[in-house]
Amino acid sequence: MSEGPLIRTVRDVPAADFYTSGHRTCAGCGAALGYRLLLKAGGPKTVVLGPTGCMYVANGHQFLSSPYAVPWYHTQLGAGGAAGVGTAAAFRILMMKGKRKKEDVNVVVYGGDGGTSDMGFSGLSMAMSYDYKRFLYVMYDNESYANTGIQASSTTPWGASTTFTPSGRIKRVGNPRMKKNVALIIAAHPGVRYVATATLYPPLDFINKARKALEADGPTFIHLLVPCPKGWFTDPKYTVDLSKMALETGLWVSWEYENGEFSLSYRPEPRKHVKEYLRMQKRFKHLTDNQIEEIERMTNEEWDYWREMGKQKKIILPWIAPPLA
Amino acid sequence: MGGSKTASKSIVKALSKKHMWTGTRAIAEAVKLADVDVIAAYPIRPYTGVMNSLAKMLADGEFTAEIIGADSEHSQFEIAKHASAVGARTFVGSSGVGLAYAAEPIIVTALGQLPVVAMAGCRALDDPGNFGMEWNDVFTFRDHGWLMSWAKDPQEALDMTLVAYRVSEDRNVLLPHFVAVDGAAITHISTPVEPPSKEQVVEFLPPYKPPYPVDPAYGPVTKAQHIAPSLIGPELRKVVDNAITMAREVIQEAWKSYARLVGREYSPFVEDRYMEDAEVAIVTMGTYARDALYVAEKLRKQGVKIGVLRLRYFRPFPSNEITEALRNVKAVGVVDFSYSFGSTDSSSVLFNEVRSTLYGSGLHPQLMDFMFVGGREPSVRHFEQVAMLLRQGAEKGTVEKHVWWPTLRGETL
Repeated sequence: MSEGPLIRTVRDVPAADFYTSGHRTCAGCGAALGYRLLLKAGGPKTVVLGPTGCMYVANGHQFLSSPYAVPWYHTQLGAGGAAGVGTAAAFRILMMKGKRKKEDVNVVVYGGDGGTSDMGFSGLSMAMSYDYKRFLYVMYDNESYANTGIQASSTTPWGASTTFTPSGRIKRVGNPRMKKNVALIIAAHPGVRYVATATLYPPLDFINKARKALEADGPTFIHLLVPCPKGWFTDPKYTVDLSKMALETGLWVSWEYENGEFSLSYRPEPRKHVKEYLRMQKRFKHLTDNQIEEIERMTNEEWDYWREMGKQKKIILPWIAPPLA
Repeated sequence: MGGSKTASKSIVKALSKKHMWTGTRAIAEAVKLADVDVIAAYPIRPYTGVMNSLAKMLADGEFTAEIIGADSEHSQFEIAKHASAVGARTFVGSSGVGLAYAAEPIIVTALGQLPVVAMAGCRALDDPGNFGMEWNDVFTFRDHGWLMSWAKDPQEALDMTLVAYRVSEDRNVLLPHFVAVDGAAITHISTPVEPPSKEQVVEFLPPYKPPYPVDPAYGPVTKAQHIAPSLIGPELRKVVDNAITMAREVIQEAWKSYARLVGREYSPFVEDRYMEDAEVAIVTMGTYARDALYVAEKLRKQGVKIGVLRLRYFRPFPSNEITEALRNVKAVGVVDFSYSFGSTDSSSVLFNEVRSTLYGSGLHPQLMDFMFVGGREPSVRHFEQVAMLLRQGAEKGTVEKHVWWPTLRGETL
């Protein structure tokens, strides 16, 4: 079981860490901070599956130290969903057959945006269609294949310069694709018990969402935005500030979908202009004022939908006119 | 008329302990007897029947297991791998391009030392889609630490599956295992099968206990962490190498114990027939060894000194047994259902393994490769021609052509 009920103040956060020292992530790594918060929510009776990605490569260590104080097993880049299902299936049947003591065990996959929204999408979808309890898939989204050197994934935002979508003399805009809304797609799986989005700010928000997910009696999914100093070209000290700014500019929407009911976790009112977030990051440095206004226009249009969803407590697919490059 | 009725009755009585089962059904029965915990399925011909049978058994409550219809073979093998890491006995399988699609998890399952047992219903690889039988799908993984055995009929497929669990889960082995059966000829043809009793299997197969389960009840195991190659890279490979070497002994012991309990005896690594005084030999695996034997028996009656050597395991490769059996043979023909384009003589996989084994042993019989590829399978006539070519090679002490494609249009033996 997860450690106790929902947390109301930072003082109530459990002191014990299950993601500790012994890794070599970048300074200011958002994904590593997310790991720490997630395992605080999960507690000691948690098994973690780690698909290939930053949190595989950077959490390994030259000296064979491990940052995990709970059982952890690597899974292949596209295999997070399948690994979670295999693990959860094993616990369920071994307990049912009396081959293992009966108790609650959390099965958590912590997979990156590349391994989840691209390669592992089919397996994730399969996993969300089964009925394993205490099964949570967290997609930590640093908006690129960061560990291999910042290549665009299908959650990289429009306009971001990456090594596969560099801004050049002819193709000026950088990434020409719009960010895939993975959580909305997962919410379309009828068996899924809980879907949410979160980021590193405010910290209790993600811990509590992870706890709700683990208690939700079925497969669950959280899309976690994690700022990435290496890929976003930002100062490590601004990682959490970037999370906050993403919310305040409305470029990141924090929401929950529980028992068929949608709710916004945060309303940016008044919403800050997107340039306050974009101009903090060198990956958007090449964007012209007009292009930034396009992002502002799209964000505005999208928020009409999010507000309506908040009002109706139902998911409505946002549709916005694509950007003029 | 009355007489034939009585005769058929007595046949029914004689077969009362036997069932007419296809290879896929026979393997499903073994999985049930082994009380497998987690089964991961995805359809592809010709292996799929095993999963159809298992799903029905589970739906009817014949035994209890998790069965997961995956979204792909990649997921299928990952599910089995991770369930095995927790401590569940697992079963999985595929054919042809399905195995190719699952290449990544298949490889890491062996490197993770997880005793997953998989059925392979051998099938030609694409393109184009081809239902024919070839071994290249399984051979894709010949270098990666999986144990591989080839059955000759549904009975042996059932026995091999039970032995596979025993060998794979042995603490000195802990490697995954392909039980390979020839597509169509075994997967889809029913022959009499006599399964062991549940009690016999319980005695034969101890419960699976991984040494370091990924389970909080055991402790915080970190498995398959990203590592620095300079630190333990070669050592991790050596662990698998040692395990597959140690498997030789475990395999022998397991088949001995199986014979003792169940009463059906097999020579563990190779089945040699008429090899004692053979001057020429056909070396092969799988169900077509029966055709080879049929021809050999006919020729023996005419005084031809021909033998048949059927390999039951491809990994670990039974080098010693092959050397021993072929010591006095003048010409060897390998009947192979694979290809290795661009290899030495552009020949086939089993042939090259046999050739390399013989080189190491200092034996130099005349060697010929008979490649039945592309799914066009041999008939008895082909084995007769193979035998004739071998006799010519043995008499002349030389062969002009080493590699034959007997079923290729325009190729005349």
